[in-house]
Amino acid sequence: MLEKKTNIYWLFILPGCLFLAFFMLIPLFSLLFKTFFDEGGGFSMANYFALLESTYFKQVFWRSIRLSLTSTAVCAVLGFPTAYYISKYSRNKGVLMALAVFPMFTSPVIRSFSWMVILGKKGIVNDLLVKSGLIAKPISLLYNEFSMVVGFIQLFLPLMILSLIGIMDNISEDLNLAAGSLGASRLGAFRHVVLPLSIPGLVTGSVLVFTGCLTAYTTPQLLGGTDTRVLATMIYQQAMSLGDWTQASVVAVVMIVVTVAVSSVINGVSRKLNPTI
Amino acid sequence: MALLELQNITAGYDKNVILKDLDFQVEKGELVSLLGSSGCGKTTTLRLIAGFSTPMAGKFIFDGKDYTQVPLNKRNFGFVFQSYALFPHMTVFDNVAFGLKMRKVPQDQMKKEVMDMLATVDLDGFENRFPKEMSGGQRQRVALARALVIKPDLLLLDEPLSNLDAKLRVKMRVEIRRLQQKFGFTAIYVTHDQEECFAISDKVAIMNHGVIEQMDSPSVIYNHPKTEFIARFVGFENFMDIRKTDTKGVYLLPDDSRIAVEGGEEGEGRKACIRPEDIAIVPPGGSAPNPLAGEVMVSTFLGKRNQYNVRTAIGEFEVSTDQESVYKIGDQVTLSLAPGKIILL
Repeated sequence: MLEKKTNIYWLFILPGCLFLAFFMLIPLFSLLFKTFFDEGGGFSMANYFALLESTYFKQVFWRSIRLSLTSTAVCAVLGFPTAYYISKYSRNKGVLMALAVFPMFTSPVIRSFSWMVILGKKGIVNDLLVKSGLIAKPISLLYNEFSMVVGFIQLFLPLMILSLIGIMDNISEDLNLAAGSLGASRLGAFRHVVLPLSIPGLVTGSVLVFTGCLTAYTTPQLLGGTDTRVLATMIYQQAMSLGDWTQASVVAVVMIVVTVAVSSVINGVSRKLNPTI
Repeated sequence: MALLELQNITAGYDKNVILKDLDFQVEKGELVSLLGSSGCGKTTTLRLIAGFSTPMAGKFIFDGKDYTQVPLNKRNFGFVFQSYALFPHMTVFDNVAFGLKMRKVPQDQMKKEVMDMLATVDLDGFENRFPKEMSGGQRQRVALARALVIKPDLLLLDEPLSNLDAKLRVKMRVEIRRLQQKFGFTAIYVTHDQEECFAISDKVAIMNHGVIEQMDSPSVIYNHPKTEFIARFVGFENFMDIRKTDTKGVYLLPDDSRIAVEGGEEGEGRKACIRPEDIAIVPPGGSAPNPLAGEVMVSTFLGKRNQYNVRTAIGEFEVSTDQESVYKIGDQVTLSLAPGKIILL
């Protein structure tokens, strides 16, 4: 019986695949399908042209990209040293990692509410700024792009840190010592060895953070204002408030395309920087 | 004056003291091995010399200068890691060129030196490969080339061959010795493989529990171990408690029989040892020196030789002979301990 190769193990993944097909792929594609037809039922890209020409959409689109990129960059800058410290120098790695992912234990709604308290006109930040004399009157820190980026960073920084730690744990300390013994300073060893070898983690983290920011709904809804809609909140607005499901689907398609495109660009760039990935 | 000198070095981490008051000297141009079982402190000593860690107490003098606090990137020592520690994201060329790049060597000269070094370690044509595309032996040679191309004042090797198979190990150690003699560099070589270190070294320092028990040339260590630990390490299996007598070269065994010892320095005169190969099984009642009567307990066939464990009045002896006659368990035999082969500890 051994030589007979009847592979029936694919049956194991069948239930999951069927579930996804029925409850996700079919509804999703039927929705997307409709966006390529005009009211008469003929094939047309009119829905897309209309959307791409709309000034409002362009504003929302570029705002989404900008906020997502900014948040990703800040997460990378904040996450890299944190991950490096936790991976290489900390003695209580488990505790620090638990702390790093701690924000993920609460829902985005609660986290956003906390930011409303902190960033509000009577929040601690404004209080401190006024008391220290830096500003005369409380400034508006909420319901704008700033508060959204702050919310995104708190939401997605753990993903960046975890991705980086996963990669950094595999960078042998011997490599650092080897660079040192060959004459590299600590900074040199970091620049020539640790940084390029961390790129895979940086890539995974960036893709996760970027797509997370681009598709996040709760945070921009609660911390953003009506002037600062992003793609996700625009989809909601189109579908739920205006009842225009086709328009909402078109925006969704754009969002998916952008997510995939940016992910592959980031992957491509990282391959240039580190050819051995 | 010695090129390298460790003076009263104490090292460890937290409350774990690994090296205690260690003294160690290496002359210019020597290849010295640090030999010992794992945990004896040999790697700690090497990493300390490399500058990977600093001692808790003591001084490290190199070429007449105090190197104790000199950072590792200012030492100009080459280090070859057990894991090779090649940079996985760089080609062979870039790996070898790394040290020269850090020294800001001009491009043309760098290229020439790297290619020359790759030729020396027999890796011409491999410069554009990545480490993961190479075999263990090739990676090891890249690691050697990378450490040697900076013309180090001292080469440190941390069990460089332990990840290679037996045949390649022998080939590589000859290669390392050849390079060492070609360039005349001073090297410290850490290993737990006795054969490897005897084959490659000018001097061997055997370490145990953070101290150097003996440092001598391989042949001196092999033939004249100073302590029981070293004797066991180099293949002495049989140990006897002895007492001095008034006659030189004659000692008393625990059962008050006499034993003759020829040559050798007189140690403290409390213990003597002999290798299994230096004990013969002789006909009873003959005139063989140092006879000991006993009974065969275990008989093991080892191909060329036979090994016996023989129980005598003063303890069990391990005997290895190439005699043709075979003894069975329970046979009464007489052992003869060659007087010139008995070492006093």
